Amino acid sequence: MRICRSLMLAVLLLPALACAEPNPQLVLPDFAALSKKAAQSTTISLDSSMLALAGRFLEADDPQDAAAQEVIKGISGIYVRSFAFDTDSAYSQSDIEAVRRQLSAPGWSRLVETRSRKTHADVDIYVMIVNKQAIGLALIASEPRALTIVNIIGSIDLEKLHKLEGQFGVPKLDLETGKAAPRGSQP
Amino acid sequence: MSENLESKLQDALRPVAPSDEFSRALLKRVTATRHSPAHLERAGRPWPRSAAWWVAAPFAAFVLIAFGVQHHLQAERERALGMQARHQVIEALHVTSQKLDLAYQAVRTQSSAFVEADTGV
Repeated sequence: MRICRSLMLAVLLLPALACAEPNPQLVLPDFAALSKKAAQSTTISLDSSMLALAGRFLEADDPQDAAAQEVIKGISGIYVRSFAFDTDSAYSQSDIEAVRRQLSAPGWSRLVETRSRKTHADVDIYVMIVNKQAIGLALIASEPRALTIVNIIGSIDLEKLHKLEGQFGVPKLDLETGKAAPRGSQP
Repeated sequence: MSENLESKLQDALRPVAPSDEFSRALLKRVTATRHSPAHLERAGRPWPRSAAWWVAAPFAAFVLIAFGVQHHLQAERERALGMQARHQVIEALHVTSQKLDLAYQAVRTQSSAFVEADTGV
């Protein structure tokens, strides 16, 4: 009887498991060791409820706030881990290996991969696209004295990101919207 | 005949001062009744009612004030949390845009290097 019930449950759950969408939320490590070593660390974890709360306090009159409000409209989570160090090589690639492993899972596509010999700054931008809609974005920026990981969950409109860049005093990025490069490709 | 009867009635119904003995007895009875436990109980009945009022009114006022203060503190907490969340959103978007710019700079440098190589500069 128990076996029969388990079998029935498995049969019922199988279609649900098959239809389950990939999760764009990364499991970010604790980075406690890096926090101790860092001269400055930023840890931001904003889920949908916190974003909704923040949205109520963003002022529409302020251009920066208005741009932020526009960007967070379709977003249900922003997670940032950023560390700045006083010395070079204060962290190793193994520290972010756990994050990179998650980004090699199905669903994620590398949109941009930059390696700068001049500044030794490496930036990887990944997007998770489901039904031609970006539902997640991940960014890993490794600099000699800084490490930043950003994970944004939600329907990300790259046009909005363009606006965001303009508002925050950063030049607009000419990304080709909806054309994500296959994983592992070079720009 | 009728006049005689009338005068007799007037004589009979004429107000008469009570005797001293009657007055004393009456006053004694009145005094005794006023100090009796039953009378005291009846007279004291409004006191508990008024005491309950004086206890209930400040209590109700206290409850109202406590509710108001609690509501105000809750609103203040929510406001502080909201402002903190707003600050974090701005900071998160700022960090993201900074790092996107880093990628942009790298892509631009690479593109211009390609252009230079193509044109033979």
